[in-house]
Amino acid sequence: MNEIARRGIVAVPALFVPLVMVASWLGAAESRLNAADYSAEEEVAIASVSEDAYCTPKLKAIVRRVATACGLVGASGRGCQPAVAKNVAQLTDDEFNALFRPLEKRAHIVQFDADSVDLDPSGVRTVETAWAAQQGASFFFVVARASPDGKTEHNEKLSAGRARSVLSHLEQKFRDPDIAKQVGLLWLGEDFAQLGEEFCGWQRSRVDDCTEKEINRSAFVAWIDCAI
Amino acid sequence: MARKWEELADDDGYSLGDADGFPEADDVDDGYAPPPSAGFGQKPIRIPLVLVLLASLGGAMFAATSTADFAAHLDRQVHSVTCSVVPGAEAGLENGCKVVMMSPYSSWFRTDYWGGIPISLFALAVFCFLAYRAAHLVWKGHETTKAEAGFLLAATMLPVIMSVGYGYIAYSEVGALCTVCAGIYVVSGLAFVGALGAFVMSASPPMGDPAAVRRFGVGVLEGVGFVFALTLAWLAFIPETQADDRGVSGCGTLVQPEDPAGIMIDLERHPGGAPSIELLDPLCPACKAFDGRLKESGLGAKLDQKAVLFPLDAECNWMLTESLHPGACAVSEAMLCAGGQTQARAVLDWAFENQAALLEAAKEGDGPVRSQLKAAFPAVAGCLGTPVARNKVVKSLRWAVANALPVMTPQLFVRGNRLCDEDTDLGLEYTLTRMIGGAKP
Repeated sequence: MNEIARRGIVAVPALFVPLVMVASWLGAAESRLNAADYSAEEEVAIASVSEDAYCTPKLKAIVRRVATACGLVGASGRGCQPAVAKNVAQLTDDEFNALFRPLEKRAHIVQFDADSVDLDPSGVRTVETAWAAQQGASFFFVVARASPDGKTEHNEKLSAGRARSVLSHLEQKFRDPDIAKQVGLLWLGEDFAQLGEEFCGWQRSRVDDCTEKEINRSAFVAWIDCAI
Repeated sequence: MARKWEELADDDGYSLGDADGFPEADDVDDGYAPPPSAGFGQKPIRIPLVLVLLASLGGAMFAATSTADFAAHLDRQVHSVTCSVVPGAEAGLENGCKVVMMSPYSSWFRTDYWGGIPISLFALAVFCFLAYRAAHLVWKGHETTKAEAGFLLAATMLPVIMSVGYGYIAYSEVGALCTVCAGIYVVSGLAFVGALGAFVMSASPPMGDPAAVRRFGVGVLEGVGFVFALTLAWLAFIPETQADDRGVSGCGTLVQPEDPAGIMIDLERHPGGAPSIELLDPLCPACKAFDGRLKESGLGAKLDQKAVLFPLDAECNWMLTESLHPGACAVSEAMLCAGGQTQARAVLDWAFENQAALLEAAKEGDGPVRSQLKAAFPAVAGCLGTPVARNKVVKSLRWAVANALPVMTPQLFVRGNRLCDEDTDLGLEYTLTRMIGGAKP
């Protein structure tokens, strides 16, 4: 057998076997590529705001009514006076407070001195901690109250001042453009939905004794995990 | 000594070719035949030649394994990669061979073809060529000339040189051990040793053999032909579909790319580069790998890179029921606290470097990670864990919410268009080049 024949006998399979293999691998890849179904990508979860289990349709409807009337939705101005809150909520005092009971782990109660709208250092820390715990929530409620000492009109102004005090600190500290869209203020004075002593067991800014009067010299702050 | 070799060889039962050791007339190659007296002493040359043949076949098998795995990934889907020198061994989704394969060093011409042309294809061609040459010389046996053995020796040096080069790259640049590649390194060495033995044992041609240089040139052309043929086959059959267009136009767009909360991090600013935003998690292994690929591709320099943090850690990310990367919230806070590009990048590089240890340390809570961050970056200690820092992480997450992005990392947006997931590894250079240039393939 001559040299060329011997070379050919060895060279042909050495070249054509890998050629066939390469063609086969790439052909199979192209078939799979053409058959690819990209609809599976749609099954990946999409980033969204949170909605907690307590957000029942009824609760969301109430929160939406309160939020709209109180300036959180529609940007028609911020702040809900006691009478307005009472009307839009269409709830009794107890029913109104019951709305917030599921927020026990999420809410904080910022306490004030009697006849004062100034945040003390522990109040500042509480407000900041509550604000930083936003996570996926859409609305930050500040529900301020006053104890029934003194005149009703004065207590209404006092509770409004406490709510604004919280808002003012948030704006100053965080300079967050979302504050205008996310923070809703309600000031209830002494007229509506006073807190009972059972709220003394919630996360408060002060650790000292807690009476019904003291717990109502406060601003209740909490993120609401309801997508409304 | 020669007598002893012959006896051993005969005892092993392998054929020694022409029994009398003399070439036939038509066996004479280009006018040279070894002298009859040389036949007896040169019979054992088949032993090193068989070694070269077996090593070359082994190299071809390893190279074919790698090439087949590479080709499988051209369908833009996730596949396991073989990472064992044992034939038929189970393949895995995450191993050193996959890391090496996904690195920019695994193929050439990546900007011209999706995935490029794999180095293993060239290795396959070279080993098949060596196998052919070795098989031919085994057949010729004692007729093997010094020139032929010398060419085989020279040819086997190519995989040895490539093995040294790529072994160094795998160790120093990629930082991963590819078992199949190591198999190629070993058989390359064995082939060289065999070729050296054959060269030593081969018959010497007459002085001034005029055909030797020509035969060497023909051999080189044959080798180039093998490489050329396989490369042409690759280019002829490489998948080309509408998926290329899908990749270049991207998979989704940002609807609110603005940053009113000031949470974007300057990752690597290159004024004049294509504006890009990467959604990343500092403790996400895929983000670390993607960062490395982007750097090694050299395309990072053509991007004006910003980042938005998206820690896949349930400690701060309400979209998860359990943490995928515990401790990522703390590291994200540190990056946001660090501020400027240099400082934030330093925290990110530190997190990437210590990623496995940080993930392990954070399994029972992110306290140890926060302590390590404070020790490594004292400047952020006063900021870490504060409401302002936590709020910034929340704002980063909400940026993803505003853009309705998939809950996954990494994601790269170039000029607001999202790089498709299937283009983040092998197809990165091909697709990103076109996204940066805004051109169709």
